Amino acid sequence: MRQLCESAVEAALAAGAGYADARAVVRRSQSVSTRNGRVENVSDVESEGIGVRVLAGGAWGFACDRRLSAEGAVAAAHRATAFALAASVGRRRALAPVEARSGSYRTPVAIDPFTVPLADKVDLCLRAEAALRHDGVVATKASVRALREHKVLTSSDGVEAEQELFETGAGIDAIAANDELSQLRSYPSAHGGSSAAAGWEYVEGLGLEREAPRVGEQAAALLRADPCPARVADAVIDAEQMALQVHESVGHPTELDRIYGTEASYAGTSFLKPTDLGALRYGSEQMNVTADPTTPLGLGTFGFDDEGVPAERQPIVERGVLTGFLTSRETAARIGAGRGGHMRAEGWSRMPLVRMTNLHLEPGAGTFEELLDGVSDGVYFETNRSWSIDDKRLNFQFGTQIAWEIRDGKLGRMLRDATYTGITPRFWGSLDAVAGPEAWRLYGLTNCGKGQPGQGAHVSHGAAPSRFRGVQIGVGS
Amino acid sequence: MTIAREVAEAALRAASEEQAEAVVLTERSGLARFAASEVHQPTLIENVVVSLRVVRDGRVGSAQTNRLDDDGLADLARRAVEAAESTRAEPGFPGLPPPEPLPGVAGYDEATAGLDPGDLAGIARTAIDAAEPAPVYGFVTSGATEVAVVSTTGVAAEQRLTDATALIVAADEGASGYAQQTAWALDAIDPAAVAREAAAKMARTRDATTIEPGHYRAVLEPYAIGELLQHFAYDAFGALGLIEQRSFLAGRIGAKVFDERISIADDALDPAGLPKAFDFEGVPKQRVCLIEDGVARGVVWDRETAAHAGGDTRSTGHAPPMLSRVYGPLPFALTVAPGDAGSVEELAELVGEGIYVTRLHYLGTVGARDGVITGMTRDGTFRIRGGKIAEPLANLRFTVSVPEMLHEVPGLTRRIALLNQNDFYGERYPFGVLAPALATARFTISGVGSSPGI
Repeated sequence: MRQLCESAVEAALAAGAGYADARAVVRRSQSVSTRNGRVENVSDVESEGIGVRVLAGGAWGFACDRRLSAEGAVAAAHRATAFALAASVGRRRALAPVEARSGSYRTPVAIDPFTVPLADKVDLCLRAEAALRHDGVVATKASVRALREHKVLTSSDGVEAEQELFETGAGIDAIAANDELSQLRSYPSAHGGSSAAAGWEYVEGLGLEREAPRVGEQAAALLRADPCPARVADAVIDAEQMALQVHESVGHPTELDRIYGTEASYAGTSFLKPTDLGALRYGSEQMNVTADPTTPLGLGTFGFDDEGVPAERQPIVERGVLTGFLTSRETAARIGAGRGGHMRAEGWSRMPLVRMTNLHLEPGAGTFEELLDGVSDGVYFETNRSWSIDDKRLNFQFGTQIAWEIRDGKLGRMLRDATYTGITPRFWGSLDAVAGPEAWRLYGLTNCGKGQPGQGAHVSHGAAPSRFRGVQIGVGS
Repeated sequence: MTIAREVAEAALRAASEEQAEAVVLTERSGLARFAASEVHQPTLIENVVVSLRVVRDGRVGSAQTNRLDDDGLADLARRAVEAAESTRAEPGFPGLPPPEPLPGVAGYDEATAGLDPGDLAGIARTAIDAAEPAPVYGFVTSGATEVAVVSTTGVAAEQRLTDATALIVAADEGASGYAQQTAWALDAIDPAAVAREAAAKMARTRDATTIEPGHYRAVLEPYAIGELLQHFAYDAFGALGLIEQRSFLAGRIGAKVFDERISIADDALDPAGLPKAFDFEGVPKQRVCLIEDGVARGVVWDRETAAHAGGDTRSTGHAPPMLSRVYGPLPFALTVAPGDAGSVEELAELVGEGIYVTRLHYLGTVGARDGVITGMTRDGTFRIRGGKIAEPLANLRFTVSVPEMLHEVPGLTRRIALLNQNDFYGERYPFGVLAPALATARFTISGVGSSPGI
């Protein structure tokens, strides 16, 4: 694969490119899902190819080819260069320097998930699903997944990086319904469960069967719960929902390509400006957010990003002040700060984009119970159900699968259909406590979309339950 | 014979199974993405993906690859068999479908299929120039796709498709406008006109003001209606949502659910859309009436969900691709019947006082059973005063029950537009919505967001 990448880079330079990089990727994934006691899907997917990115005439070009052969590599290089030259308007683009070096990285894995028989995965799903059943539950689902990606990157700047990345994940869902309502409960996370950069040991540690009876019971109980009333009150938000809150209202707004407008036609831009770096108050003193591609188990953990920049931990928000952006080599050079390190592409057929790696809300102090202690009248939100945020990442609305009222520091009655809404810096400014390291959890999301053509990214977020004051709960009309 | 069918037959031969089905999707596409009037993410993709489904003693396993040499196809067969042998027979599995006559459809244009990178860069430049002096963000794209389904039961379906889209946001710091055109032939769209429409809309959005949250009468352009209905359809108009009682239509088939002006079908055969002859099992596409004169009539089915429902229920030709089977059959060729209004200005007159919405952003389902969806308006939101489209508004958060929104519809335009709904994730398979502009008596604004612009 390294030789193919080198051939592609050489072909691009010979065709007129001033810079070129090539990524050869071999991906394999397995997924098993069961639904309502039936095996729904058992599949094994592989995909391979080479993607070549060039700078020619000051314009980017990207082309890919499924053939991992010299012919495919050179063809992709020539097409990428031709596209760049055709699109060129003579602009000069600078890239932040990268160290010319060779390196490799492999996800630490105790049990290779591809050595676990598919039959065992089917059995686990069926057992977990059976444990979800409960009066009022009309549909149950369980799924497990595994991914292995072997990729080699070389560039005309002297980078050679070889990486083998693993992911495993699993999740269960119970849907309860009656003539009027439908309610969903999930574990360990919504939207297909949670994943980690790890082996099968991660799935074993989730305890799907152990948690399933609670999940099914809560889904059924939600049919009898009162709707969450709309009002302004204090909110305590669980770690899973906080992971998505960080993703949407801190991760995406701090992507420097969005700030420069290059995502404007799809995912949107950002309320942040380049000049906000080091100056903007993003939230309260309790808000500390870190981008860390070295986090154990993180889906955004790697040795090198897809521009060959080595992984490095970087503060993004410190004591409520914006101190970092997520950057590429190009955007880092443009702003004159940082060195890149956040460029990632989906597979071999997409161009790298500025992406979150692992973005964490750092823990504070104390327990979940101590967070509740400080609330006389409020709502506790758990497990995401819906999300939406505007194109500048200011106005957001989240819904959770389940909530409880908080009265005098204690959880009270269960509530359904709970939502909360806010404006990003105002909301983070109302953060007055984050629970401590013991309550901090890492969640892996596999459905982050960006780019045209669209590409999905897998990212992790660590968070602990957090308390916010004076939140708009529900939708007033 | 298409390349897709040749590969599918080779995969089936390599499998040597008594019951097997090969589905192939090929893609040759280009997308010139631009920002601040410069092409910055140009992407050329060539790929061929073959999926193999094997049935052994009622046990079903699937595998997929893009390695097309003998070793790749042999390995594909081995992995599909291993998957099948790892599971158990499901009594409800309806088996692989038998062959059926397929409808003839349009949807392929040789000139569109033959575009090269230079052509695409030139088209992007034409659009960018047409918007000047407005900075533009967006893309022009064209693609040629082949799909083939071949099985041991005798299914041998193949189709070539093309698609082309120009999507443009004209924007600066305080103003933005949006436009889009999609067709299966490039010469049916006018990227320069798209750019001019976006720039003209942008010019009207500067100095946006805000309004108080509440219920408003509203006019929604086809861009907004297309996106909202496609999102609503994921839960409401698919058989799995109905079976699992997530769908708004659960318990409401045969009931009047919308204004009688509303009729919605899924019609992949319509040449005005992005036509398809068959689904990913090779079952012929049917026009499916979902809503007729406001009455709920049905949802779309594949063989698996139809077997589960029993009785007279049959597949309507909506089996999804292998990697999307967990979502069940979904409608990807929605078409909304037009009305009588000659223009959006006529709809504004019907509304009188209200708001005007060009497009939507980042939709989320708050409650599927009630059809409640939230999202933001974007790139062209205006007040309607005295029946006229008036001053620009900031981007607004809406939280609407789609059934409530469609309960009273004062009018729809005669003209319907094809709106691309494909964000081009995964393998390219074009789809869109045919929709008119629509006036509603109730559109709920639940908050105010950012100003227009980037």
